Formats: sequence, structure tokens, C-alpha cells
Amino acid sequence: MSAAEQRLEDILNNDIWDVDPNPHITVDSEKCKNCNTKPCIRLCPAGCYTMSEKTLVFSYEGCVECGTCRVVCPLEAIHWEFPKSGRGIYFRFS
Amino acid sequence: MAEIPNKFDVIVIGAGPAGSASAYYLATKGFKVLMLERGRSPGSKNVFGGRVYVAPLREIFSDFEKTAPIHRWVTRERMSFMYGNELVSLDYEGNDHKSFTTYLSQLVAWMALKAETAGVSIVNDITVTGLLKEGNKVIGIKSGNESVKADVVIDAEGVNRLVLESAGTVPPLKPSNVALGVKEVVKVNPEVLANEFGLGDGEGMAWSLMGDVTSGLPGGGFIYTNKDSVSIGLVMLLDNAISGANDEVYRYVERLKAHPKLNKYFKDSRIMEYSAHLIPEDVWSLRPPKLAYDGLLIAGDAAGFLLNLGYTYRGVDFAAYSGYLAGKAIEQAHELGGMSAINLAAYPKLLDQSFIMKNLKRFNGTNKLMHNRRLFTAYPAMMVSLMKRIYSLDYESQKIFNTVLASAKENGVGPFTLISDGIEVIRYL
Repeated sequence: MSAAEQRLEDILNNDIWDVDPNPHITVDSEKCKNCNTKPCIRLCPAGCYTMSEKTLVFSYEGCVECGTCRVVCPLEAIHWEFPKSGRGIYFRFS
Repeated sequence: MAEIPNKFDVIVIGAGPAGSASAYYLATKGFKVLMLERGRSPGSKNVFGGRVYVAPLREIFSDFEKTAPIHRWVTRERMSFMYGNELVSLDYEGNDHKSFTTYLSQLVAWMALKAETAGVSIVNDITVTGLLKEGNKVIGIKSGNESVKADVVIDAEGVNRLVLESAGTVPPLKPSNVALGVKEVVKVNPEVLANEFGLGDGEGMAWSLMGDVTSGLPGGGFIYTNKDSVSIGLVMLLDNAISGANDEVYRYVERLKAHPKLNKYFKDSRIMEYSAHLIPEDVWSLRPPKLAYDGLLIAGDAAGFLLNLGYTYRGVDFAAYSGYLAGKAIEQAHELGGMSAINLAAYPKLLDQSFIMKNLKRFNGTNKLMHNRRLFTAYPAMMVSLMKRIYSLDYESQKIFNTVLASAKENGVGPFTLISDGIEVIRYL
């Protein structure tokens, strides 16, 4: 039985990216400091946003390009755009 | 890539269902069309739930069923109400071929190839970053420092309307505008499709799940059977998810797969792909101020064309058909002498006469209904406890009416709430 839940890293390992050397996400960490709720952490489906010590850290490489972070950030601290030149996620079965 | 001329009749932003359908139609009518795609190939950035209704696509592409990548015809529909380790299901076994399952990546690749074969120039790897304007008139597109001109632009960029936002045409998305869909496509044993899902060759199932799969948040789960895989995922209204999601969203999908009554369907399964996408939800607030401007039409998710009825979603057929109507409107505007907003006003008119706006108007209260928490908490729980009272007996059988009231009471729903919610459901769905 496949009853065991898989870790997000293992789930994401099934996807393919052509990572853009230029990040398509930038975060204004000054604004972030004042955010108590940080919905990006729970709602980013790719887990791009995590807490390290007391600061929010992000990685753009595993982004699945849904755009949720941009919409849920209450302080407009996340700047998110599409990766350029065909880079980013490459869906085959979605 | 061939040398791109610097002037086209039409530029289409995005080679998704809306863009490809519009480009295909216009090319068959002799227009010189350039379609720009931000992905490495058409379809590589597209995500949907799992099912498409065929009639609108058959109207656009006459040979659709002969060559399109149809995985399975949905002959079996199931709706389940879940609570704890139990569920209550409604199961419909039909014979009609009205909708099918597929991978949108494949379907869009097929549609774009049809467009290309009809004469559309498709350029991949191009992210359009803005509209080229002359006064109020759109005269082309910008991508970084480069620009290309056209008589008219069709914006089919999808739900994340970065181009329209940068042009000031639409405001930034708000959480209340959209829902978040998260999905896994998993490879399953063919025997699982035959024995557990009970499907014959080419037969498919569309399954919607409501209740504590979303921890009671407005939204629901979905399962679609593909040729040799299963798509499983969740949709959550984003405004409610912000305040109510108490866990990382991917875990909801994993938990659904591991549910004691569902895990047999995912025995020995292997994840093939994981994806997520925003879904137009409050379509009226998402609708741009206008759908036709001087030199610009807006189609598909970018225009907010999607119908969510809880038990079914329609986005791909709406998108494709809106693109097709944008193509027809451009054809008419051309006959009238140019791509002014007045000539292009045929587009919103064609939309109003079509199933797209008729459906969106008919179901214009469903978004309100979706925010009724009881539909996702108390009622699924009530359905389960009702069935349990009726079927799970030792000696004494129960009268149905009494058990309805008792299960309602058990789940904190008074008789008046029950009646008023019932009226709401009948009114809006």
C-alpha cells in the first residue's frame, strides 16, 4: 500500500525544470519582517518559502509557476514574474 | 526559427487553449498570425484538473475526435461526501461521450500544432512583458527591449495577467478572485483502473470529493482517470485558505491519497508529475472592465472565463471557445474596416450569445454558495452520519425523516438553517 505520505522534496523530484540563472522571484525582506502571518509558507505548493532562524528564506528554482505567493502576500513583499526565455517548469503530464 | 516579419495581422499572447483556438481559426481565414509562447513548447506551462467537455472543441476543430489526445471518455461520474474515515457517494454510470480526460500539456500541444499547420507562426521561449501602444490604441507587444506590431492583439496570457496588469487594464489579483489547485498525476497499475475504478477500455471516471478533505475549507478534491494514470488534487478558495489552511497545501493531496477508503486506488502508484495553478473563481470581479479595446481582445482565463459548480469545473472549453469567438470578431471587424473598439465590440456580443456567458450568468451566485462553510463541513458530515444511522444497524431500523433531523442536529444544523441552505443550493446550482 502507498499509504505513507511522501515528502515534498520527493514529490517535486518528479518534475522537470530548466532553471533560469536570473531569479524570477524577489522578496523585500524588510517588509517581510513586519509580517506576522506569512501565508506564503503554507500556501506555496512548491514550498519555496521557509523560515530559517527568524527570517523568511526563499528559493525560486523549484517554483511551479502558479503565482499564489504574489496573490497571498499581505504586504506586497513578493515580486513574482514569469521566468524568461522558456526557462522554469516544464509540464508534460498536467 | 524563421526570420520574424515585423508586422502581423494578429498577435496572440500565449499558446494555451484560448490562444491556440483563436490563432487556428484566424489562420484558416487567411490572417497572418503570430502566436507567442513563454514556455519551451506550447502546453509546457499549462495545468488543469483533468477533464474537458468536447462539444465546443468539436465545433472549433472539425476532426477533433479523430486525432486529439483523448485518454478516456468520462462515462462514470462520482461525487463523494467525506467525513473522517467514511464517505457517502453518488455514482452515475452513463454511456455518452460528452467529456474526456487528457493531459492539458498534450491537448494544448495538439491544438497549437493544428494552428501551426494552418499557417500560424509560433515562437516559443518568448515572455511578452507589455503592450505596445499608440495613444489608447494597442499596436503590438513588447518583450523586453524588443517589440512586434500587429493590427490587433489577443491577450490569452492566462490567469496571472502580468501583461494586462502592467498595461493598467486590470488590477492585481486579489485572494478572493481565485482558487488554488494542487495536483499530482500518478502512474497506476492498469488493473487498478479496471478493477478498483471499474473501467473498461477507453472508459473514464470523474470524481469530485467534498468535506474534510480540505479540512472543511471551501473547495474540494478531484480524481480523474487518464489512460494509464490518475490525476488527483484539491482546489481551495484562496481567501479562505489564507486564514484556514493549517498545513502546507501539498499535504492535503498526500493525505487524500492515503485516505483509508481511497488508498486502494493508489496501490503501488508512482508520482509522474506535481503541479499547481490558480483558477478563476469570482468570475465577475475578475472580468476586465472591457473585453474589447482598440486593437485588443482578452480571452480565456485572462478574461476570467471559468465555471466552478463544485461538482464540475469548466475552464478549457470556455477558454478555447472564447478564443474562437475572438477570432470570429476579428474576422467581422476586418470586414467592417479595422480593429477599433467599436468594430471589435462584436466579441462581447458573440460571448453574450454563447454558452459561456449564458452559463456564467445562470450560475452567478455559485461563488457566494461556495463561501457557505456548512457545505464543506456540516453537510458532508451529516450525509455520513445519516447513512450510518440508516445502514449501520444492530436491531432497530430508523425512519429516514427522523434520521435526517437527528444527523442535522448532531452536526449543529438547525431545521431552519437546513431549509434555507437547501433553498440556496436549489437557487444557485
